[in-house]
Amino acid sequence: MRLNKFLKTVPMKLYAILAAIVLLAFFSNDFGLVDIQKTAIILAVGIDKTEQGVALTSQIAVPKGSDRTTGGTSSVEIRTENATVSDCISDLQARTGWVPKLVFCNLILLGEEAAHEDVAEYLNYFLRNEYMSDSCLLAVCEGTAEEAISSQSALDDASSLAITKLFSDSSEKSGTVMKNTLKDFSIGYYGVSQSSYLPFIRTYVQEGAQGAQQSGGSGGGGQGEEQKIYGAEETAIFSAGRMVALLPKEQTLAFSMLKGNVYAGTFNTEEKGEIVTLTVLKDEGNVSLSMDGAPQAKLSLDVQVRLCCRGSAAPIEDVSTDRVPDEALKNAEETLRGYVADLFENCKKSGCDLFEFKRMLYRSSLRKYAEWKDTLLASLTAAVETRVTSLK
Amino acid sequence: MKKISPRQLFFFLACIAPVGKLVLMPSRLVVEAKNDLLFPALVGFAVQTGVVFCVLLLAKRGESFADMLAATFGKIAAKVLLCVFAAFLLFAAFLPLLEQKLFVQSAFYDTLPSVVTFAPFFLFSAYLCAKPLGSLGRIWDILAPVSIVGFAGIMLLSVGSADYGALLPAGAAGAGGFWRGLAAAASWFFDGALLLPFLGKIDYRRGTAWKGALAYAAGGVAVLFFLATFYGVFAEIALNQPFAFTKTSKYFSGITVLGRIDYLFSYALALVMAFFVALPVQACVDCVKQAFGAPKYLPAALSVLLNLGLFFLALGLDYRFVEIMQVFAQTLFWIFPVFCVAVPLLCLLLRRSHASQ
Repeated sequence: MRLNKFLKTVPMKLYAILAAIVLLAFFSNDFGLVDIQKTAIILAVGIDKTEQGVALTSQIAVPKGSDRTTGGTSSVEIRTENATVSDCISDLQARTGWVPKLVFCNLILLGEEAAHEDVAEYLNYFLRNEYMSDSCLLAVCEGTAEEAISSQSALDDASSLAITKLFSDSSEKSGTVMKNTLKDFSIGYYGVSQSSYLPFIRTYVQEGAQGAQQSGGSGGGGQGEEQKIYGAEETAIFSAGRMVALLPKEQTLAFSMLKGNVYAGTFNTEEKGEIVTLTVLKDEGNVSLSMDGAPQAKLSLDVQVRLCCRGSAAPIEDVSTDRVPDEALKNAEETLRGYVADLFENCKKSGCDLFEFKRMLYRSSLRKYAEWKDTLLASLTAAVETRVTSLK
Repeated sequence: MKKISPRQLFFFLACIAPVGKLVLMPSRLVVEAKNDLLFPALVGFAVQTGVVFCVLLLAKRGESFADMLAATFGKIAAKVLLCVFAAFLLFAAFLPLLEQKLFVQSAFYDTLPSVVTFAPFFLFSAYLCAKPLGSLGRIWDILAPVSIVGFAGIMLLSVGSADYGALLPAGAAGAGGFWRGLAAAASWFFDGALLLPFLGKIDYRRGTAWKGALAYAAGGVAVLFFLATFYGVFAEIALNQPFAFTKTSKYFSGITVLGRIDYLFSYALALVMAFFVALPVQACVDCVKQAFGAPKYLPAALSVLLNLGLFFLALGLDYRFVEIMQVFAQTLFWIFPVFCVAVPLLCLLLRRSHASQ
């Protein structure tokens, strides 16, 4: 009897096991297998404006030959030009036979000319693409993105890897870089302030390193090509999707400090006419909007510092202490106040609501927002407060 | 007949039913109600909490839905009404099914997989739907902790990236936004109606009704917290973020070092979802079974037939999801309040069967 009962339930049990196995396969993403012979793993894309529409330079990871034992990623750059980004991607597939895979794309680089247009036109495709990560880094570069993407890095196998290293957490904490992602840029663009920022990449020739290292990729540059290093100390600011101004590195630092990002970053001030470098140990930045009477922006910095170095010789007693002299502290307050005031004026003049004052007003009062939304930025005055204290 | 214990029922109401609302509902709410997405969702949960309470009061009688209908309207009319209700459950099953399909294809694959990739789900669903509803209790016992761990993990990784100030100013979408949001979300609030076929299969004990409602409300609070976090993470671009629960957690700073550990939690919730998505079809099969008695072959045959039909429907409408959503949210949204609010409340007026008296 028991055997009969068991045998009766066997087909159902087998079916359940089969269903479970097939369901597992359904959730498996083909067990993560990628056929690299048929797939273009795009590491980064560069976007330039052209007469036809857009030029897309895709940096594609390619497997290294077995003779190389160094590891890392070599790459090939392929340029396609068409009316839209989507067309360029289709062209890439048509001309290489590879299926473009954007899931590993970690950098979108906009050429300078493209950045002066409404960049949403170029970012639209990436924002819609479900298989593209919106935590992908976004940046503007000097000149064309094609040049920057195709340049040979002195430090890495692929230029995009060298550029993304500029946006490490430690760089961000040093206050020298303001990184941004596709998601956060889009939130700024589609928000009521319609403003955002992107790091501005400059390329520098690495003196004396010409042709010293050659990338394994076929498009990675040949022997004798100039090797490059990259910097992102400046920040491009955007209003309604267009790049409207460039923040120099002092203002980038001030912006970063106001966001409270900086830890262990440095800045220079003076004491008795000599340069003194201070290290930031604690950074509390605050930006608020006051609508009592005329609209006023309040920008405040509360910074704790220690002495990092002097630009002149000093006795050993001075070298042994981190304490910052009062005169240097006072000058540091003035220096930072100047940076913040310049930053505010730069944004106001260019019409970029970088600190999202409109959003603050929108969130606090719809009535006042309706009243001020078109004139708020032009009417704003700034009250800048800086407080710099020394490590005891 | 296996009965569902109150504990198992509470697990379903608090931990399993809310999972179906974490995929497309958040972005659909944002499309209509923008930053006021919490208000239509709150109303949806409040109404359904009341409905769940009422249905569980009916469960106190210990009679099946079919018995109560037959006692009130006669056997023939009861059969017709049960078939109509089964048709509604099948209709309600369609959206979650497509949701699950798109979710897995989008979240777990790197490029668009072939349309038949989803076919294995129907094998699983056909098996599950052939089982009696009473057997779900044990499954809920197992799924509830999986759901709790999955949800807690995702929230833990998400809250740090959220700017809850983005929910301000309250009321910005106006009354129009609220009503459109309510209509758009209606197709996800059928939990009360889903309990009707369970009548007679619940082991009712003292206080089960209010405890069940409380469990459902607790699940609702968790979903509202998720919705707030979702909007806090994506703000103005939240309407462009379908498959919400796999997205909010990926901005956790540790992910750059550890990789997508949040997928572990997403997989846990996807597993729970697979059972939840099959439930309306299973309830539909049970309604037909209640209407026409229970010949042994009926549930299995019906289950295979329905799942085969749904498979071809899903296959045929593969690229029509936007239109389907519009039909559900704008044209046929009224069906849900009728079957998920009015019908369960009217059921309170049903007579007891003679056997029960």
